[in-house]
Amino acid sequence: MTVTASVIDAHGLVKRYDDLLALKEVSFTVQPGEIFGILGPNGAGKTTLVEILEGLTTPTEGTASVLGIEVTRHPVEVKARIGVQLQASSYHQYLTLREILELFGSFYPRHADPMELLRTVHLEDRANDRIKQLSGGMQQRFSIVAALVNQPDLVFFDEPTAGLDPDARRDLWDIVRGVRDSGATVVMTTHYMEEAESLCDRVAFMNAGEIAALDTPSGLVRRLNAPYRVRVTTSEPLDEVPLRSLAGVSEVTQTQTADGYVAELRASDAPRIAAAVASLATNRAALVHDLVILPATLEDVFLAVTGRGLHG
Amino acid sequence: MIGRLFGASLKMVVRDRQSVFWALAFPMIFLGVFRLFSFDSVPATSLIVSTSSAPTPPQQVLIDALSDTEFLEVTTVVGLDEIAAAAAIEDDEADGVLLVTASGTGEEARLIHGINDPIGSSFVVAGIASIVDGVNIGLAGGPPAITYVTESVDSDETSFFEFLGPGIIGMGLMTFATISLAASLSRYREEGVLRRIRATPLPPWKFFVSVVSAHLVVACVQVIVLALVADALGANVLSGGVWFILVAVYGTLIFLNIGVILAGRVRGRGAVEGAANAVTMPMMFLSGSFFPTDSLPDVVQTLVEVLPLTHMLRALRALVDGQSIVEQWPELLVMTLWVAGSFLLARMSFSLRDS
Repeated sequence: MTVTASVIDAHGLVKRYDDLLALKEVSFTVQPGEIFGILGPNGAGKTTLVEILEGLTTPTEGTASVLGIEVTRHPVEVKARIGVQLQASSYHQYLTLREILELFGSFYPRHADPMELLRTVHLEDRANDRIKQLSGGMQQRFSIVAALVNQPDLVFFDEPTAGLDPDARRDLWDIVRGVRDSGATVVMTTHYMEEAESLCDRVAFMNAGEIAALDTPSGLVRRLNAPYRVRVTTSEPLDEVPLRSLAGVSEVTQTQTADGYVAELRASDAPRIAAAVASLATNRAALVHDLVILPATLEDVFLAVTGRGLHG
Repeated sequence: MIGRLFGASLKMVVRDRQSVFWALAFPMIFLGVFRLFSFDSVPATSLIVSTSSAPTPPQQVLIDALSDTEFLEVTTVVGLDEIAAAAAIEDDEADGVLLVTASGTGEEARLIHGINDPIGSSFVVAGIASIVDGVNIGLAGGPPAITYVTESVDSDETSFFEFLGPGIIGMGLMTFATISLAASLSRYREEGVLRRIRATPLPPWKFFVSVVSAHLVVACVQVIVLALVADALGANVLSGGVWFILVAVYGTLIFLNIGVILAGRVRGRGAVEGAANAVTMPMMFLSGSFFPTDSLPDVVQTLVEVLPLTHMLRALRALVDGQSIVEQWPELLVMTLWVAGSFLLARMSFSLRDS
């Protein structure tokens, strides 16, 4: 992959607000047709980074080329070709959906038909309603479609499924995939790990103003020290000391549930550790009700990034 | 693009109930309520004139003279005594009773009244006394030594409602421009509309100008509607002509700028609306929207002279009074200073950047 073909090419971005260093030398690229996720705790610098790429904020240092255009020098040209979805209402409460799309369309040289846009998110029946009359899921769908009025080559979604129920969230995932399939590149922030896992081709984890890890979701999981969880349910509690001393175990938690005693271990070498746990149980004359080996998830990556650091 | 943007901004104002309230309902309530009071006509005093029998010719002359008096509403009866007269006043049948009886040498007219208002009663008593005197002199046949004539200098005196009309229109323009614009801008900021607009290639000043000019257009409609209504109610404002409208709209620029300043300087929508009310409410009274400000203490008078609404109302009232626009140059000069000063401050106060 060549640098010139990148949709986003950020290089050494630094943003300083008075005493606060919001971004410390962030560099990365986004390729055409990707769904690129930006994850991280609040205050990690996600919003600042995205605002620089959208031409809303200028970096203190560094450069960013968006769609081949230097965004700090030509923000208006970049804004004309990108789509931006923001959280919360962000739209005129006294205008109808159709009027808002017509209004925003008029800001761009190239724009899509409002009714066509509403159809793609199944809101054509609500064209003459106002934002406040829509359910939360409909509002989110509308805010996504409002980011597409200019048929953008690159779209930014800011927590597009925040506060939605699982059904509505899956609907939105389909819509986001549809946007990508129609030829646009998508950059999105999210707080939901399973959303990033299911939607994103690549994910950047931010922490304290830096990109702490950047890879495909499965690549990130593989790079964990302990990419598995071993969960064993026994009739008697297990002694934690021998559990912790097993080679390759990095974390042990034990809880009592209706099913019995559940011990959960984060493990590097799942089959060997599972066998060792089973024999520890037998030694204590405890019945093993259940023993599962689970792959680690982005959730574990998140914890590793924000808590204990990530290796590899 | 500009057309659609302006149209959308206009819809935003017209569909906002709060804006419509400040633009039309609020001043119309004032016009309507003040119209209910009739400040200009003093209510007539009802007087019963009682004679002991059918009026004698001199008694009839007195009755005719009293009946011709504008502030009296005279009914005649026969044969009331003092007790019956007091009872009639007690029962609110009349404000006063004049008992005319024949005595040894001539006629005696005794006034019994129950008017509590000291000024009103002395006015009525003195009035009746002078009519009785006049009738006496007339009946005596001699020419009066002194003929008393009064003449009001200002024969075309403006009525209180004519004073109120421009005051209420000016107040309505001020409250709408300041409160509605400040509230709209802070709502745009709070709801993220400004941020969303900034993410488009639209130059932010175009958005800003469209919002302000939409308010200005609504203010133009507002002043025309209010002038028609006030005129229909008797405030005679249409005699101010086109200049009345133009001066009113020119003054509105000041209040729009104040709205922008408040939206820029005060954080939070509730606080902005509170501040806009806190600015406009005292100004509407101190600038003499409803009452002349002459009786205010000297210190407050200084403040009154500084307020932009004071000068706008003076110019508007003078125009209604038939003065020419050229004569209003001192007021227009102060207004122009305000337009320029408030515009500069507005530019410094409100930035789309921090939204």
